[in-house]
Amino acid sequence: MNKVITINLNGNAYQLEEDGYESLRSYLETAARRLEGNPDKGEIIADIEQAIADKFRAILGVNKTVVITKEVTAVIVEMGPVEGDSAEKQNAGASSQKTTGSAEKSNSADGVSGDGVPGTTRRLYRIYPEGAMLRGVCNGLAAYLNIDVTLVRIGFVLLTYFWGTGVLLYILLAVIVPQAITASEKSAATGMGAATAQEFIRRAKAGYYEGMKTFHDKQAHREWKRKFKQEMRGWKHGFQREMQENAHQWQQNWAQSCGQHPRFWVGMGFTLLVLKWVKLLCFVFGIYAVYSLVTHGRVFSVPLPAGIPVWIGVVFVVMIYQFLTWPIKALRHSLYYQRQCGYGPWLAGPFSGLVGLGFLVVIVWLLDHYVPQFHEAVQQIPPLLHQAIDTVQHWLERS
Amino acid sequence: MSINEKFTAIRKGLLEFLVLRIIAGGKVYAADILNQLGATEFATQEGTLYPLLSKMRREELVDYEWKESEAGPPRKYYKLTAKGTEQLRETSEYWDKISATVKGLGQESGN
Repeated sequence: MNKVITINLNGNAYQLEEDGYESLRSYLETAARRLEGNPDKGEIIADIEQAIADKFRAILGVNKTVVITKEVTAVIVEMGPVEGDSAEKQNAGASSQKTTGSAEKSNSADGVSGDGVPGTTRRLYRIYPEGAMLRGVCNGLAAYLNIDVTLVRIGFVLLTYFWGTGVLLYILLAVIVPQAITASEKSAATGMGAATAQEFIRRAKAGYYEGMKTFHDKQAHREWKRKFKQEMRGWKHGFQREMQENAHQWQQNWAQSCGQHPRFWVGMGFTLLVLKWVKLLCFVFGIYAVYSLVTHGRVFSVPLPAGIPVWIGVVFVVMIYQFLTWPIKALRHSLYYQRQCGYGPWLAGPFSGLVGLGFLVVIVWLLDHYVPQFHEAVQQIPPLLHQAIDTVQHWLERS
Repeated sequence: MSINEKFTAIRKGLLEFLVLRIIAGGKVYAADILNQLGATEFATQEGTLYPLLSKMRREELVDYEWKESEAGPPRKYYKLTAKGTEQLRETSEYWDKISATVKGLGQESGN
């Protein structure tokens, strides 16, 4: 069993075996001595430390957190001896620069110097292409909100069903939200950049590695474990309390809104039924319009003007559909509001919505499987979206 | 004494010229330079390259800018200054002259 020492290489924390630490220290000391009198001594040492840190990072991985002595020696051999500039000595001997802390030994948690290092704050980025389906908007949003990406995708699909806003919102976000490219941006996107030096330092500061370092000291290890568990419990309780408060708030809101609509109109049920069928008819027409537009390039034998891409036609048809069905929708919604609360069972509203949605999903699935044209049209959707995003982006760049 | 050993001093003297040439080929960072040199007889190490780069910067032949990298911390990307470009041109000319001399010597008087 070897003792492990945490060092700070140009702002990055690494754990080395004790013997490896000793040879690295002597290498850097020799380098500093050879560069004595060089006006750029501090900078060269920092560059060399950075290069060593890069090599260490290549060695380390998820399951390997300590650089062993053999690896340290190999890295030092790879680096080669630092060459002093003897000519430089005479003319710049007096202006010896302040030595930067080349390798700080840190036995305690606060021994790591991380001054001026900003904490990782979470920012909204598109995460692409890692796990992204289109442009990484949902992926980034999921990371930002710390929830499952599938939930976000379902959310977007649901939004599309209600107002068609899901697609528009997606395109908007794809254009506005920047893509996470560099390591620090990626870590900011997920809010947990274990790969960055800052995170290493933060963890070292919080004492995460203390327990591992003094593994033979059972008392310390137990203490560390206890603290970790306590932290996790605290987080869990906080989350539960938040959920309970939210649920309570919803119930209160519901009770209030129902109290305001105690009336119930007898003919309402029939009116609702008629409206529902009218709306369904409109919906079928709308779907047919989009379908014929995508497959034949014409809506009810009105051809699409030349030079206008199909997707613009689809958006246009959807907009017309929304516009035409708006009065029906508004009437239905106002009626629904009164009926639900008059009847009492508040689940009826969302339930019927879900049933309708399920019905739609089944129809789409059936069409997708048994109507090849429909399947082809569905296959066209991702490229169409890509095209739409590109066009908007292009347009924004031009203006 | 092997040829390799005999030319140690010459290789070392030529290193700055080669680094100028590499940087002239496009913005690079230290590891790029090492990789490009690594495939040649002029393979060198960080311990040599970093002091050389800092000397060249002090002499205003090269300059660098920090750029974020896709993996890891920001890197210094080097580029030639006007002075560096001029130096490269002069050195290239001188080098052409030297190698012409080396090739030419002994050709006429050889037989």
